Amino acid sequence: MEQPDPIIHQPVRLRIMSALKVLPTSELIEFVRLKAIVAATEGNLGAHITTLEEAGYVAVEKDFAGKRPRTRIALTNQGRRAFENYVAYLRDIIDAQPTTFQ
Amino acid sequence: MPLSPKEAAETLTSVEQAARRSAQAFGYRNASPYLILWGLIWVAGYAGTDLRPEYANLIWAVLVVLGGTVSFFLGRHCERTVGTACYKGGWRMLGLFALVFAFMAATYSIMWPVHGLQFGAFPALLVGAIYCGMGLWLGLRFVVTGALVMGLTLVGFFFLREHFMLWMAFVGGGGLILAGVWFRTV
Repeated sequence: MEQPDPIIHQPVRLRIMSALKVLPTSELIEFVRLKAIVAATEGNLGAHITTLEEAGYVAVEKDFAGKRPRTRIALTNQGRRAFENYVAYLRDIIDAQPTTFQ
Repeated sequence: MPLSPKEAAETLTSVEQAARRSAQAFGYRNASPYLILWGLIWVAGYAGTDLRPEYANLIWAVLVVLGGTVSFFLGRHCERTVGTACYKGGWRMLGLFALVFAFMAATYSIMWPVHGLQFGAFPALLVGAIYCGMGLWLGLRFVVTGALVMGLTLVGFFFLREHFMLWMAFVGGGGLILAGVWFRTV
């Protein structure tokens, strides 16, 4: 990878992907919970989730928990692979730097 | 423009921090129903022991079996709905309870005879220590909960001996229930 994935390479989207990646494969996380974890505002988080959803990296599920509307988000397989590639890209850059001996 | 090694390292740190926060929140959420369940059992068990001390063994035997069974099904439910996480769910949860109770029984047997207050305080201290230990891996809230359970148990044991069982029912059990609710807020 010559360039970082532009979809993931944005601070809030990166935190979203990191938070989702660590969950079990089938686990959905509630929007409000994700908002607290990535420390984003509601509007900001919503916009970034839309970007990730359009790229096919996350799936968004809307339903009702009792009478309360609920939005839940999960990482897709495509998103999982893209995130793994992104992290590998970062590690390659770090590993490629020359070692200095003092 | 490609990233510099410094930028890559900073980005990777940000990834790790977000992942850690998310894993902690997931752990808290999974632990929450167990805390509430066992808080309710403490309320019933210690209050029952205070009211009818002659039936304490029977009360606790029934409640422990009930709690272990419900915990097992909570774990199974989590496995079905979430997947392979949930501390590996039902059977391991049952194994953990069996281990804890075997340890308590063994300790009582070598320390026997124990006073009623010691009998009531020891499980609470053990549970508190287990939560503190879990917190070293799973997050600060476990440590706070465990330390509070241990501290409140000692306060009751040394300063409220006349009302120790009621203290444990409402402060210990109630504390666990509140901690369970607190764990859901992440």
